[in-house]
Amino acid sequence: MRSVKSRMNPVVLEAEKIIKKFLGVVALKDISFNLRAGEIHGLCGENGAGKSTLIKLLSGIYPYGSYEGDFFVHGQLAKFRSLADAQKAGIAVIYQELALVDDMTVGENIFLGAEPPAVQGLIDWHRVYHDARLLLEKFNVGIDPSEPIAKLGMGQKQLVEIVKALSKNSNILILDEPTAALAEHEVLILLDILRDLRSRGIASIYISHKLDELFAVCDRITVLRDGSSIATLETKRTNKAQIIKHMVGREIRDLFPRRQSKLGASVLEIENLTVADPHSGQPFLSDIKFSLRVGEVLGIGALMGAGRTELLMHLFGAWGRRLSGSVRLNGRELSARKPEEIIRRGMVLVSEDRRRYGLILDKTIAFNLSLSSLAKLTKNRLIDQGLEFQKNNHFFQSLRVKAPTLEELVAKLSGGTQQKIVLGKALMTEPLVIFLDEPTRGIDVGAKLEIYAIINRLTDAGKAVLLVSSELPELIGMSDRIVILHEGRIGGEFDRDEATPEKLLAAAMGQRHVALT
Amino acid sequence: MQSKKSLRDFSLLIALVVICAFFAIVSPQFLSARNLSLLTTELSITATLAMGMLLVILPGNIDLSAGSGVGLLGGIASVLVFEHKWPAPLAMGIALAIGILIWFCMGNLVVRQKMPAFIITLGGLLIFKGLFWLVIHNSTIPIVQGGRANLYSVLTTFYLPLIAGYALAALIVVALIVGKLRARKARQAYGFAVEDGEVVFLKLFLAAQLIFLFVVVTNKFRGIPFSAVILGVTAFAVYVLTTHTPFGRYLYAIGGNEEAAIISGVPVEKVVVGSFSIMGAIVAITGFMQTSYSGASTTTVGDLMELDAIAACVIGGVSLKGGQGTVPGVLFGALIMACLLNGMTLLAVSPEFKFIARGAVLSLAVWMDVRLRRKLL
Repeated sequence: MRSVKSRMNPVVLEAEKIIKKFLGVVALKDISFNLRAGEIHGLCGENGAGKSTLIKLLSGIYPYGSYEGDFFVHGQLAKFRSLADAQKAGIAVIYQELALVDDMTVGENIFLGAEPPAVQGLIDWHRVYHDARLLLEKFNVGIDPSEPIAKLGMGQKQLVEIVKALSKNSNILILDEPTAALAEHEVLILLDILRDLRSRGIASIYISHKLDELFAVCDRITVLRDGSSIATLETKRTNKAQIIKHMVGREIRDLFPRRQSKLGASVLEIENLTVADPHSGQPFLSDIKFSLRVGEVLGIGALMGAGRTELLMHLFGAWGRRLSGSVRLNGRELSARKPEEIIRRGMVLVSEDRRRYGLILDKTIAFNLSLSSLAKLTKNRLIDQGLEFQKNNHFFQSLRVKAPTLEELVAKLSGGTQQKIVLGKALMTEPLVIFLDEPTRGIDVGAKLEIYAIINRLTDAGKAVLLVSSELPELIGMSDRIVILHEGRIGGEFDRDEATPEKLLAAAMGQRHVALT
Repeated sequence: MQSKKSLRDFSLLIALVVICAFFAIVSPQFLSARNLSLLTTELSITATLAMGMLLVILPGNIDLSAGSGVGLLGGIASVLVFEHKWPAPLAMGIALAIGILIWFCMGNLVVRQKMPAFIITLGGLLIFKGLFWLVIHNSTIPIVQGGRANLYSVLTTFYLPLIAGYALAALIVVALIVGKLRARKARQAYGFAVEDGEVVFLKLFLAAQLIFLFVVVTNKFRGIPFSAVILGVTAFAVYVLTTHTPFGRYLYAIGGNEEAAIISGVPVEKVVVGSFSIMGAIVAITGFMQTSYSGASTTTVGDLMELDAIAACVIGGVSLKGGQGTVPGVLFGALIMACLLNGMTLLAVSPEFKFIARGAVLSLAVWMDVRLRRKLL
């Protein structure tokens, strides 16, 4: 009934063959879809499928002319030059990171930058709060406009953000992973509000990893993959398995030269690990349990925000408060809680964000390579510069760092070369276990293959590798075993042979048993 | 990279020459042996404090309390000597220990309570000033008992015997040559680029000449001031610390990117607390020298010295964001500040204009730094 009704509604937004390139790299290949008034339209796809790029385009962050193809809002060709243009056309985007000022009240936030005009340039605060109250009531949001934002929960903030968007007479809402940080009951409230908005004729684009939510609230779902819109399906006439299949839909090419190494004894054992988020104090990782053997690559896969980086950072002593559980390294309880102690015990982390957590950018290659190992390179408490040079040079050569000398500044190197420096720094500590968090993010294919080869060499040399990756082909191609996290818990564990993209994705989305057809 | 460095150093050198030439012309006394000897003592005091400031700024902190600390720790030592009749070495030892303890605590507040160093040391500036005045009861406390010289008073009144001065200079020059050649050989062995042999010779020759010139000039007055020896030892220690120890590398790493330093296993808390503790010791030593130079503890000892130290660092190329800066650079910065202050005192410039000139030079140095950096990056 509903879908029939909305099918007759006018199209309010239509995208036609949109292509977006960044310096020659294609981010969006071919995106076409349409959105009708009074419709909630789901958008889903793997990490990197192009969702964020598409939003930035629709909201005017990437201005008209920086992409190919067109999109139309209310039948008119959209030529947005800025966020403000998109707002004027009635498009509002609710981002994951909310754009609210914590120290201001709900009312102040709703009218921030659009305060109702008043006499003599002063703001009429009575009117602000009066209008805010009317708006909140209109959309059935039970929040006091004089409440400070800081006192609200995540869910309530989200609602304020939506009301703020609607106060600007927006009739197209784009919600980017709106429930990522919400508790269960807050999700239900949000979905109810969206349904209510739909009945008022407002069109929403709902971007989410969570298939349950998409199926609960959307009229149609468009699947993106590798920058293309693959299919638009009516929710009533499809199922989760079909959506997942569209999301994955590709062969794993022979790009991943994983050689099985000889497995040895268990080196890292993690049991019933529960970790609280340091800010909220709520458990973020629960009942994590896995083990890692000498010579093994254990892949960890998860959708964004499911806790994979937090898990690594916690094991490395750099994130979260442990509520329970044990971590044993070589059979001994790992009681160390600081990165420097953990490195000494034989674990090392190569972070996904090398510019932030990996490198001292305005220092030389030599400075960065030896930074984690200086304590081992001293003689009479002074750095033995000969020994330091030998070590640095060893990794400079064996990792085939593309730079003229060790004295080149790291900031000048390419992404792949920088990644090798971070890797070299980690390896120089002579670790037993190496955590690689997205080791190939943002580097070119050649450098990727080199990193894969290094992983093989490491396991041959008896190291154990924990590989976190959001690229399923890489995860399947390079891991001996794969553990999938879903919302801070283990969502499934797979051997290399049984792992398929469909199964992994289903586990990552919390669908334990998907009937694949 | 190389050209950026030389351009910077070049501009500093020009600034120094211009300042010196100006004072030399306006006041011929400026270049007299006596005044240069005084200038050396003043430089030693400012530069010693700046050495400590460098250690604090490198990991991205700052110490605004150093000037008040100089007064306080010098004052504690004077009160112990004059009022309690303690032997000077013991009194100074106690003040030194107190300095290390106070700065150790401030360092801990910075790393454990995550309070900005700016705020903590701003509090320290006021608190130490108050404590200082309490300790000396707003009066003038001599640093000696009954006019007899002691270790405290000789800090700025003792001069090395003339022969010792030459011997020391010869020793330093030999050490410099051996060190330079060794480092050069090592670099060659590892295939790094090295400077041209002739350039090295010229540099060494110039350095040796400057060192001997320094000795000749100071010997014309009374000899090398003892405070210069203190500065030499401090600067050498800080140089080794910053360039040849893991601790020093960590200072740069933390200042360059603290999060990456943590993940790389740098013991950030220990290093920062360590840098503050060393600063405490250096503040105490500077306190003894400055108080000794004034002849007594009075309420104005140490006033604004923290700003001179910071200015010396900034002029010498230290980045206030942390991660950049060297000992030679800071020495150069301190030299410019010391020349400026000494010359103005010589000309009997009124205090109003002294303040204005100091501020102007500091602003100018930062402006130049920002400009050069932008142009060359």
